[in-house]
Amino acid sequence: MITSIFYKEWIKTRRILLLSLVVFAALITYIFINVEQMFRINGATQVWTETILKDISVLTRIQWLPLILSVLFGVSQFVPEMSNKRLKLTLHLPMPENKIMFSMLAFGLSGLLILYAITYMAILGGLNIYYPPEIVWSMVEASLPWFLAGLAGYLFVAWICIEPVWRHRVFNTLIAAYALTFFMISAKSGAYMPFIPYLLAIIIVAHFFSFYSMYRFKDGSQ
Amino acid sequence: MENIIVCENITHYYGSRLIYENLNFEVKKGKILGLLGKNGTGKTTIINILNGYLKPRSGECRIFREKMENLSPGTKASIGLLLEGHIQHTFFNVRQIEKFYRQFYPNWKAGAYYELLRKLQVSETQRISAMSCGQRSQVALGLLFAQDPDLLILDDFSMGLDPGYRRLFVQYLKEYASNGDKTIFLTSHIIQDMEMLIDDCIILDYGRILLHKPTDYILNKFKRYTFNSSATEIKATDKLWNPEKTGNTWELYSFSPKDEIQQILEPYNIANLKEEKLSLEDAFIGLTGKY
Repeated sequence: MITSIFYKEWIKTRRILLLSLVVFAALITYIFINVEQMFRINGATQVWTETILKDISVLTRIQWLPLILSVLFGVSQFVPEMSNKRLKLTLHLPMPENKIMFSMLAFGLSGLLILYAITYMAILGGLNIYYPPEIVWSMVEASLPWFLAGLAGYLFVAWICIEPVWRHRVFNTLIAAYALTFFMISAKSGAYMPFIPYLLAIIIVAHFFSFYSMYRFKDGSQ
Repeated sequence: MENIIVCENITHYYGSRLIYENLNFEVKKGKILGLLGKNGTGKTTIINILNGYLKPRSGECRIFREKMENLSPGTKASIGLLLEGHIQHTFFNVRQIEKFYRQFYPNWKAGAYYELLRKLQVSETQRISAMSCGQRSQVALGLLFAQDPDLLILDDFSMGLDPGYRRLFVQYLKEYASNGDKTIFLTSHIIQDMEMLIDDCIILDYGRILLHKPTDYILNKFKRYTFNSSATEIKATDKLWNPEKTGNTWELYSFSPKDEIQQILEPYNIANLKEEKLSLEDAFIGLTGKY
C-alpha cells in the first residue's frame, strides 16, 4: 500500500522533480564554467588565496535554490490534495491516517534527499578537481544549512497546504518564514556547524506540524 | 435486519446557524436510502460527519458498528465513497488511477472498471483532468464497482450529469444493489432519479428530519388535493401540508385519504375536490414547500 501512495505522489511531482534536477544541473554546470574561467584567467594560486583569505565560496549561487525548489515540490504534492478537498479521498484509503500522512511526507523527503545527494555528488566531483579537500569541505559545510532549509521548507509547505483554514494558513506561513530565517544567516565558514543540530531539531518538529493540520482537516475546521 | 449506519442525536452548527438538532436515523443492510433536502439543509454535512470529516457539536454516527471518527482500515475498505461533483485525483490518467487503487482493496475487480470505461470511448492514457463531468462520473463509478464495497455512500451523484449519464449511473447502481447484501446511502438534488432507485427516503428540512419513510409509502399515500374555495386562509396542520391559493383554487398535500380531507375541509365550503397521485419530486415539493 505504501508503494501505491508513493506511486500517487510520484505522478503528482515527477515533473517538478525532473525540473529541479535540470535546474540544479544547469546551475552547477554554470558554476564550474565560472570556476574554470577564474582558474584560467587568474591562476590557481590567486584563486585559492582569495578563497581562503576572503572566505569566498563558489556555491553561494545555489543558496536559495534548495528552498525554492522544495517549496515548488511541496506545492505540487499538496495543492492537488487540497483543491476540492481531495485529501478526503486519500484519507478514505484503507490505511491508518497517520501512516498515509507519514508515507506522503516520507516520499517528499526521500525525493528531496535523493535530489540533494545527486547535487552534492556533482558538486564534490567538480570541486575536487579545482580545490584541496579542506576548501571543498569548508564550502560543503557552508552550504549544508541551505539544503536543510530545503527540507524544512518542504515540511512547512505541507503544513501550510493541509491546514484547512485560510487565516491559519497565513499565520503558519509567517511562522514558517521566521523559522526559515535561521537557516539563511550569513556566517563565516564553519561558524554554522554547532548550530546544525538545532536546525535538525526544527526539521524534526516541523515534520509533526502536517499531522496537526490533518487532524484539523479531519475535524472539519472551517 | 442489521443496521449498517446508525446516527444518534446529531446536533451541528456552522457558527451560530443550526444545521440539525438531535438528528436520528439508521440504514439497514441491503437497503437503498436516499437523503433529500433543499439546498443548505445539510445533506453533504451529514455525509462528511458519517465519514469522519466533520466533528458534530454533539451526537455520534457509527458505520458497521465503528465510530465515525475512528473507522478502521478494514471498515474503510468496505465503504465506497463518492464525493460531491465526482471528485477524483485528476492528475492520474484512466489506467494510472486503476493501478493506484488496485493495491488497497483485496477484492478489486479491474474488469468491472474497464468494462464501464469501454462505453466512454476514452483512451486508457487520457488524463482525468481532461474529461467531461459525465466521463469523470463514470470513472468514479467504475472505481467504486471495482472496489466492490458493502456500503456505498454517494454525495449528489447526479450533479453535473446530463440525462444519459444519470440514467446510466442509476442503472449500474440498481444492478449493484440487486445483490441483497449491498447497502447504499445517497443524496441527489435530482429527485426523479431517486424515485427509480431508493427503498427508503429521508427528507430533511432546516434543522430536522421532516420525514423518514419507505419510498413506496410516500408514493402511494401522499397525495395532492386541489379544490375551489373562497376561504382566505387554510392553516397547515399535520394532515394538511403546505396549503396554497392561486386565484380561487387551493392546493394542498396530505397522507390522509380523500374522504378524510373532505371532512377536514368542510368548514371552508370547498367544491371540486380532486386527488392526484404524485411523483417523488412532487411529493418532495409538497412536503417541503416551493420556497
